[in-house]
Amino acid sequence: MARNILKKLRKGYLLIFLIPSLTIITVFFLFPVILTFLIGLTSMDYTFRWDWIGLGNYIYILKDRWAAKILSNTLFYVFTTLIFFNVGLALLVSIMTVHINERVGSAFRTLWLLPRITPSTVYALLWLWASRGEETALFNWVLSSIGIQSVDWRLTQPWLLVILVNGFIGVSFGMIIFTAALKSIPEDYIRAASVDGASTLQIIRHVELPLIRWPIMFVTAYQTLSLLTSYEYILLVTDGGPGLFTTEVWALYSYHLAFVQYGGIVKFGYGAALATILVIIGLIMSIIYWKVFRFKELMLEPKIEV
Amino acid sequence: MRKGGQARVTYIALLIIGLLIGGVIGYFLAPPKAPPEIQDILDENEQLKQQVAQLLEKIGQQEITVTIWTIGPDPPSEYRYKNFEIAADMLNSWLAMMGSNVTIKVTGEFYVRPVEWGEYKNNFYLAYQAGEAPDIYLTGHEDIGFLAANEYIIPLDDYIDMFWDEVYYDIIPTLWDAVTYKGQIWAIPQDTEARPMYFRKDVLRQLGWTEDQINALPQKIQSGEFTLDDLLQLAKEAVDAGLVDRGILHRVKEGYDYFQFYLAYGGKLWNPETGKMVFSQEAWQKTLQWFYDAVWTYGVIHPNQFSGDWDNDFHGPFTQGDALFLSGGTWHKGEWIQKGLLTEDSFKENIGFALHPAGEPGLQPVTLSHPLVYTITKQAVERGVADVAFVLITLVTDPHLNSYHAVQSAHLAILNSQIYDARYTEDWFLKDVAYMLEYTTFIPNHPKWGDYSRIVFNILRAVESGDLGPTEAYQILYDEITTTIGDDIEVVP
Repeated sequence: MARNILKKLRKGYLLIFLIPSLTIITVFFLFPVILTFLIGLTSMDYTFRWDWIGLGNYIYILKDRWAAKILSNTLFYVFTTLIFFNVGLALLVSIMTVHINERVGSAFRTLWLLPRITPSTVYALLWLWASRGEETALFNWVLSSIGIQSVDWRLTQPWLLVILVNGFIGVSFGMIIFTAALKSIPEDYIRAASVDGASTLQIIRHVELPLIRWPIMFVTAYQTLSLLTSYEYILLVTDGGPGLFTTEVWALYSYHLAFVQYGGIVKFGYGAALATILVIIGLIMSIIYWKVFRFKELMLEPKIEV
Repeated sequence: MRKGGQARVTYIALLIIGLLIGGVIGYFLAPPKAPPEIQDILDENEQLKQQVAQLLEKIGQQEITVTIWTIGPDPPSEYRYKNFEIAADMLNSWLAMMGSNVTIKVTGEFYVRPVEWGEYKNNFYLAYQAGEAPDIYLTGHEDIGFLAANEYIIPLDDYIDMFWDEVYYDIIPTLWDAVTYKGQIWAIPQDTEARPMYFRKDVLRQLGWTEDQINALPQKIQSGEFTLDDLLQLAKEAVDAGLVDRGILHRVKEGYDYFQFYLAYGGKLWNPETGKMVFSQEAWQKTLQWFYDAVWTYGVIHPNQFSGDWDNDFHGPFTQGDALFLSGGTWHKGEWIQKGLLTEDSFKENIGFALHPAGEPGLQPVTLSHPLVYTITKQAVERGVADVAFVLITLVTDPHLNSYHAVQSAHLAILNSQIYDARYTEDWFLKDVAYMLEYTTFIPNHPKWGDYSRIVFNILRAVESGDLGPTEAYQILYDEITTTIGDDIEVVP
């Protein structure tokens, strides 16, 4: 009897502690998602009228001749940036800076944080200037010294530019997580491997990487979702151009239709339907990552006492 | 102790010096005070005074605040807002003279870049939802259909009738077309403009043109003798001769200017009889071909012009003489002078301006106008300030006050009498571009105009960047316009 009361009390306490985070999730995540979904079922524009059209917007998306191109752009952008920068380069920078002198390593990592703390418009402007077509623009000026002809990088290599701009920003998050994980590996393991005659590369491959498997998986999953909804720098650098939806990604398309119309005609309803699709894609990706990376194991209590 | 005292004296001295420097800077940066003659609109006009008194007599409040939103986005257009401050001063001194205890306060915003039109309009609609819309809202005339149909703004016919004989008879008649929707007038014109094709006289001189030939170019364009093909040819000559980097510049962001090329090929934008927008097939085919040729055959427009920035790809190259032609607007002249990119003299010496040439022999040269207008929101009525708002609009619709705006920002007159206003006629540029209004077209006052504009922009950008050839681009343009706009578009051969 007493035990039951205690159990109930414990549950009550837990609920009290959970209330703040539940409130935040409800107000800032659940509520906007529901609202977006509901607006997606209307033909809402500047009049803000809730004219219900059922699945009309979704049927329109199926008929939208650019939807397939924009979806494939999005997947290309997300996975290329993820593999080469947000995870790949982040891992490389962490490993390299952890294996060199501590002070130099820290300084180097601080440099990689600069793009993240620079205001986005300033950062984008710097890239725009650097990638211009004139011979005096930074990229052309540097590349001309090795005999490469001047080009307008935004026109000829828009994807390269979009991925570099986003990638250099995206490195910092993974870099911090990976560095922390690498530093928390007990020194004994590294020493033991060295004593056994392992080279640095072998230590990285067979000791360090397996030990930071969870952080790598977490960063991969988190950054995938983050990239999926990001469009700010693409908007600032190419605005989806230079051709017809050349670098337009799903989130940018939704933004363009919902908010940016020179002629003042906005389509909140259609934009919201596009955003809802993005939420669904995000959920599917989360479930796939959850299953494939076996995140459940990560969340379990350790089987042994550490 | 002595040290502390000395330090304090130094601080006070520094403070005084700082205040003096600030005062001097402030004096020079302060906006010019309205000259005495414009204070007299009400004094001079007994009839207007009576009309104003009639409107204001109902008001019991002591202080009435009217909120006004205006936008440049070019900074020289600041009189769009400032004139209201002048008008309120005028009204207040007159009210004081009458012994009234009512005072009028003007508050609001004049938005400039980086705020662009899209953001400005977004802000308005969101503010409206929040019940915080301005009482007077300046916008492009093409929004009137949408604003009126959805009851954001009120019809002004009764007010206009009241002041017709004193003020509104004077509005240039064609401008009323731009503010009429379903038989009612919903706004008061604030300004209009023409979009000239500017050219560099100095480059033409270097190409061997005589002064007479240069001065005759606008006339040759006006008569239709010099066409868009000649424009490409001449631009190519200048580029090939190494005199300029770029032959032709056009705006770098979405806008309505590109439609001039379509109009030059005989395209129509709307059918006033049916109220529908128009898609002229042949004109669009030729327009797309022209843009393609300009970039990829003649090499006179940069393939990335649509993704450029205003300073480095538009104002800069032209004002520095690195481009021969620039498809711009009359207001750009005001912007170049105010920004110090050109002086009045260097503009006169090196820059010429003409209509946009006809597409082919036998067709007309063109320009495009986009009158801006003052509207009164429904929320102004709910707040009980619509009458005062209209009095203020009436006072700023004055030849002297409007000429301040017109001259500083290089926009064109809205009033017939303004054409004879001393300040306006002193401006040789405004006088010289006035003829262009005979060749102008307004953009359609249609709720789906934004879709038309956006699709055209996307396709033209794809053509210039080399993503689409002219034939493929035309097919996509046709499909997109007809599916998106549906019954509101009329397709003509």
